[in-house]
Amino acid sequence: MADFDEGIITRRTAILGAGGLGVFGVLASRLYYLQVVKAEDYRVLSDDNRFNFNITIPSRGRILDRFGENLAVNSQDYRVVMVPEQVKDVDATLKRVSEVLPLNDKTIKRIKKDIREHAGFVPILIDDHLDWKTFSALNLNIPDLPGVIPEVGEGRFYPNEGIFAHTLGYVGRADPRDVQKDDDPMLRQPTFRIGKTGVEAAADKILRGAAGKLKVEVNALGRVVREWPEPKDKAVDGKDIWLTIDAELQRYAAELFEEDSGGIAVIDVMTGELRTLLSMPTFDGNMFVSGLTQQDMNRLNNDEKRPQYNKVLSGGYPPASTFKMAVMLAGLESELINVEGKTVCTQKIRVGNRNFHCWKRGGHGLVDMRDALKQSCDIYFYELGQIIGMDRIAQMGRKLGFGTAFDIGISGVKSGIMPDPAWKQAKLGNGWRTGDTLNASIGQGFVLATPLQLAVMAGRLANGRKALVPNLLIGQTLPEMEDLDINPEHIAIVQDAMWSVCEEPGGTAYRDNGVGIKGFDMAGKTGTGQVRGISTSERLSRLRRNEELPWKLRDHSIFVGYAPYKNPRFAVGCIVEHGGSGSKRAASIVRSVLNKALERDGIKPVTEAKTREQSL
Amino acid sequence: MNTLSSKAGLTTKLYEINWLLVALVSLVGLVGVVMIFAATDGVWSRGAQQHLIRLIVAGGLMISVAMVDVKVWYTLAYPAYIGALVLLVAVDVMGVSVNGSQRWLDLQFIRLQPSEIMKLAIVLALARYYHDLPKWRISRFFGLLGAAILILLPMALILRQPDLGTTLLVAATGVAIAFLAGVNWRVIGGAALASTVALPLFFRFGLKEYQRSRILTFLDPSRDPTGASYHITQSKIALGSGGVSGKGFMNGTQRQLEYVPENRTDFIFTVIGEEFGLIGSLLTMGLYMLVIGLCIWLSTQCKHVFSRLLVLGLTTTFTLYIFINLGMVMGLAPVVGVPLPLISYGGTVILTVMTGFGLILSAHLHRKNELPRSHS
Repeated sequence: MADFDEGIITRRTAILGAGGLGVFGVLASRLYYLQVVKAEDYRVLSDDNRFNFNITIPSRGRILDRFGENLAVNSQDYRVVMVPEQVKDVDATLKRVSEVLPLNDKTIKRIKKDIREHAGFVPILIDDHLDWKTFSALNLNIPDLPGVIPEVGEGRFYPNEGIFAHTLGYVGRADPRDVQKDDDPMLRQPTFRIGKTGVEAAADKILRGAAGKLKVEVNALGRVVREWPEPKDKAVDGKDIWLTIDAELQRYAAELFEEDSGGIAVIDVMTGELRTLLSMPTFDGNMFVSGLTQQDMNRLNNDEKRPQYNKVLSGGYPPASTFKMAVMLAGLESELINVEGKTVCTQKIRVGNRNFHCWKRGGHGLVDMRDALKQSCDIYFYELGQIIGMDRIAQMGRKLGFGTAFDIGISGVKSGIMPDPAWKQAKLGNGWRTGDTLNASIGQGFVLATPLQLAVMAGRLANGRKALVPNLLIGQTLPEMEDLDINPEHIAIVQDAMWSVCEEPGGTAYRDNGVGIKGFDMAGKTGTGQVRGISTSERLSRLRRNEELPWKLRDHSIFVGYAPYKNPRFAVGCIVEHGGSGSKRAASIVRSVLNKALERDGIKPVTEAKTREQSL
Repeated sequence: MNTLSSKAGLTTKLYEINWLLVALVSLVGLVGVVMIFAATDGVWSRGAQQHLIRLIVAGGLMISVAMVDVKVWYTLAYPAYIGALVLLVAVDVMGVSVNGSQRWLDLQFIRLQPSEIMKLAIVLALARYYHDLPKWRISRFFGLLGAAILILLPMALILRQPDLGTTLLVAATGVAIAFLAGVNWRVIGGAALASTVALPLFFRFGLKEYQRSRILTFLDPSRDPTGASYHITQSKIALGSGGVSGKGFMNGTQRQLEYVPENRTDFIFTVIGEEFGLIGSLLTMGLYMLVIGLCIWLSTQCKHVFSRLLVLGLTTTFTLYIFINLGMVMGLAPVVGVPLPLISYGGTVILTVMTGFGLILSAHLHRKNELPRSHS
């Protein structure tokens, strides 16, 4: 009936139909492969799709002073991060962000570098420390900006305007070296901050805590849809670190320094705990947390008072006359010296072909050992030094802590220099000369000490029996203190002479008696660290007064001391850079600080009027 | 018998429509409504509702088309083809660009996609061409040339838009009709040989960069794990994680978390596979096979070359849609943007497909009516 050859079309239909069936067969077997054979693999992949593990950064431990006052805390920090893999066009996105939050070229460069260096799912910090207005403006805009996430994080904050900056140090972004040394996954989180210096660096592992893992369900855009917290993966907050520091005392000391530069350490003479560890001027550690601007950097670097330099631990200064106690003790211990022996000071002594001078114009006249320390007669110590020799002096110096870099748990502690003939030969390649001994006998020449060492020396003299070791971190296990190994009678002689410096008319620090310690006697020693050579012509005409010199050429004002004289509690070492003579700036600061320290310690004055008689 | 059926009353004629096909097509469409509902998180207004309305409207159109005598379609075959060509040229000149492809013609009241019209027109034109062509000329030079021109003209225009999927669909349909019409095996062998030579050249010079990239990515998915192959990978994960019985209606995580883009349109099969598993997938495929099988059976009832080739050509287009889409979703074919007919969301395709079924029904309904005599 058909008007055409049905056969061929029907045959070809059958062929195509069979082909079609074949294709359906292939598709069905593919489905079988996907949904039966590989089903388990795909189920896992599907779960992978749903779940991401986000690293959660715990709260960083606080740093507290001995009374629990906050020295370093965490404050709420409004910031905005970007998850690169969720951002289609980084440039366009940053441009949109910068309409609300201006970003400079440096920041954009840093962001792009971060993007290159991290996996696509790691949130990259765009900016932090945002004010509320900017933060809410960004929040309003996020629906248009996939991958840009405003978040409230924790930022490090240091109250107290930097007074503890040198000790605390600061935190900053982990750099490649940090990451190399440490495989903690937190370090690869761009919002994480690692301790860079000071206690923050030394106790970083404790403060940092342990990273948490948070299983989150995310959609294809990376937005977190649900969180699945598992208790075992919780972040462990960092532990607090307690310092031996008394914040109030340190603030008080900082006020006393005013605009001056230098360092002061206050040490408990029984335990070695540092109550104050201050370097002046300070800097604001908060600047470093979010990254220093070039201006800040320049300002810090160009300041001639070097705010970043931790003078109390790292600064090497000639201890000057404060070193005389070491020479005196060395003399007493050598048994070559008679305590009552006297010498005549005519301001000048000739050794070899050189003249060595005493600081006092016209000389001190007839002085014995006690007078020599009390009035700080250089001539007496030149002679004493010559008699006992440098090796004995250096040995005693080391006993008192010179030349030692104390381990107080943070870095930056320097050893200073306690020279002796062997040292000079090794270091400078030439022999020790008598002149070197003379210079060292008055704490000049090669001798260099840090304010911390001066405090330790004063502390060891005050303690008398134990070789006091300074410490800063509460809870740190300390080695047992060794015996000082100096004849207590000799210590008592030195202590009495130090007392006379402060409490007897004619003592170099007696002038300040008006502002003495209420109810207590103190012991101490002044030092005036010379930083320039004095020419013969100047000496012949008239020594220029410090006030007439440029700041950089003025003498360092140095003082060491302890109080109460009887039953000592605290010892102090203090250097005021270019502060003039030791009897002025440094002595008055130490006096006030000791006064405050005793007051804060709550020690009631006992009658000390007869102290002097007893000690004699 | 002939007279009776041609002069039958409207009701009788309606009654004689192959309602089984209508029912099967509607069933597939309803699967689409349910799956779009799932793909849009159960928000009725985000597609499912509109899909249903479109099905009803297009269903009305299908019945209307079916009621028109196949002779009318025979008469309109060439005008429709020429009209579609003109529209394709027009879209090239003044079309609206969507997603970088210029496929749409904005006629104020409706956005027309001339390539969709061409899918029907090419079948009509070739069916008529072979109906009118004396049988002995089918494999001769001019017989082949005519068919080649009919196929290549729209291909070239659609490729320019660019729309690789539709181009291949039109080409394959055309070749299939020529094959069914009886082009001899020597020619077929020659054509196969020629295309093996031409394909690499076409790949190099005939395609846009993104099209090349899609094909390269298909061949080597690791080339671009987050870009073009993302579709394929995520789609396979959705299907595979469905397993045998699926995660349950509205429970697909890949879907909920929007891992498979365009799962309302081209990738809707991933929702079926994820939520109803192998069982649901095979049932869907089975439904399609029933529709196709029925259409083939209907074609054998037709007494004219035109009607037969019309039904088979349209069935071929429909089948190719399914093959390309499923192949793409299962990672067996490159991502070319072909929807799953009647299930994927999208208006124009429903209209085209339903009109196609209208033509099939018309050919079957008027299978015994007279057409101008063919020269066989």
